Amino acid sequence: MLTPSIIEIRGLDSYYRGRRVLDGIRFEIPGNQVTVIMGVSGCGKTTLLRHLVGLKPTERGRVFVDGEDLGGFGEQKLQAYRSRIGVLFQSGALFNSLTVAENIGVPLKVHTRLPEETIRIMALIKLNMVGLAKFGDFMPSQLSGGMRKRAGLARALAMDPEILFVDEPSSGLDPITAAGLDRLIVELRETLGMTIVVVTHELESAFHIADQIVVMDEGRVIAAGAPEEIRAADDPRVRQFLSRETDLRPPDLDDYLSIILARNR
Amino acid sequence: MTRQITQLGAFALEQLAYLGRMGLFLIHSVRGIARPPGKFGPVVKQIQFIGTRSFVIIGFTAAFSGMVLALQGYYTLSKFGSEGLVGSAVALSLIRELGPVLSALMVTGRAGSAMCAEIGIMRIEEQIDAIECMAIDPKAYLVTPRLLAGLIALPLLTAYCNVVGIFGGYLVGVELLGVSAGSFFDGMETSVVWEDVRMGIVKSFVFALLMIWICTYKGYYTGVDRGSFGAEEVSRATTSAVVLASISILVSDYVVTSIML
Repeated sequence: MLTPSIIEIRGLDSYYRGRRVLDGIRFEIPGNQVTVIMGVSGCGKTTLLRHLVGLKPTERGRVFVDGEDLGGFGEQKLQAYRSRIGVLFQSGALFNSLTVAENIGVPLKVHTRLPEETIRIMALIKLNMVGLAKFGDFMPSQLSGGMRKRAGLARALAMDPEILFVDEPSSGLDPITAAGLDRLIVELRETLGMTIVVVTHELESAFHIADQIVVMDEGRVIAAGAPEEIRAADDPRVRQFLSRETDLRPPDLDDYLSIILARNR
Repeated sequence: MTRQITQLGAFALEQLAYLGRMGLFLIHSVRGIARPPGKFGPVVKQIQFIGTRSFVIIGFTAAFSGMVLALQGYYTLSKFGSEGLVGSAVALSLIRELGPVLSALMVTGRAGSAMCAEIGIMRIEEQIDAIECMAIDPKAYLVTPRLLAGLIALPLLTAYCNVVGIFGGYLVGVELLGVSAGSFFDGMETSVVWEDVRMGIVKSFVFALLMIWICTYKGYYTGVDRGSFGAEEVSRATTSAVVLASISILVSDYVVTSIML
């Protein structure tokens, strides 16, 4: 059963250089659950994530966090919201000039007055959660792609966020490492009761971790519901996505031309 | 005709928006002094990067500039039988003009470009987004320490450049061309006044501000306007940062000189 919504999206549109990339997005993100936003590359899921974490300005009245309008947040409120969230970026986004442990210590150093030694211990605890306790003194460049992502996750967890946003956790990883990250996400939800929003195009991973799945296509939500409801959906685009069929639709020449012309303008 | 006016208007608005964003960037970076995180450690680290590591290159530049100034000065002054004034010529040129300009250009080439590239890479690798998402002010975290370090390090490097340059001038003027050491330093002592030193100090502060502002700004907005975040954007940003910072240093040199003369 789904718990009350923590984030509500009500008709969110988004534009990039005059082109509509999100079209009337509408769904709810329940608390203490894993919501997976799924869709093919370029369907607007990362743009949606950027709206949800406040990296892209949101029009008033479109996204509500605990009933409060995200678009109307001033600087202070946005900072307060951001201190409640953790974000794992696709590349891990670790700072190259700092060691892995120092990376995890950054938010603790800025937002708390804890002594250096305590911050280091806390960073190592977080690293231990993601299985990287022995790599605290390594530089990010010395880690593999999967390890960098796990270290990025440890940093996203540093301030014990209520809501965790994860962008493409499995992309570029081997199946075993990807499965490890999936297990970690499920564990975080089960042990800490965290609300988790995952953006991915990996079907297997999505069905494995999700309590709720939102399927997007060309900037629109085409299906939303529990994994079994998505599996049973009869929308042809959802079926096509789930059965990994190639796109057989003829290209829309008008659309294609307008894209080319817009780029050259 | 209407189309041309529209295009001109759009261009003007675009430039105005660009200048406004640059101005806000500086205001936010200065405001960052009062915002977390603490600045002492990062500023010391940046002083080491901008200042200490520029010692050798500025030493070389200053020594040879002082030497060539003495050589040229001696050649020109000997036509009027005033070779003894070569010390004053070297010192005045360095303190008022060449010391601040050379130091600023060298630091732009060495540290400014690296600063722009480092911040640019952070932009394309989503590290700046990550800083924002950690509820940290990215300008206070990335730009403010560099700005403070530049304002501390460049005037000190300029003073060092002047001293090494004068020593270079001494080597050529006194040791090589045979000007007496007494007249070399005596002329310098009487002709260099506080106003000359003050002008050099003011210039070094102005150059430091411009250089750090432009280099960090270009790095911070790498690829943002073009909406593309590839490696070539970093090289593009770095090149334009160095070119714009160097030109700004030379233009502002003229402006400051004309105001202070």
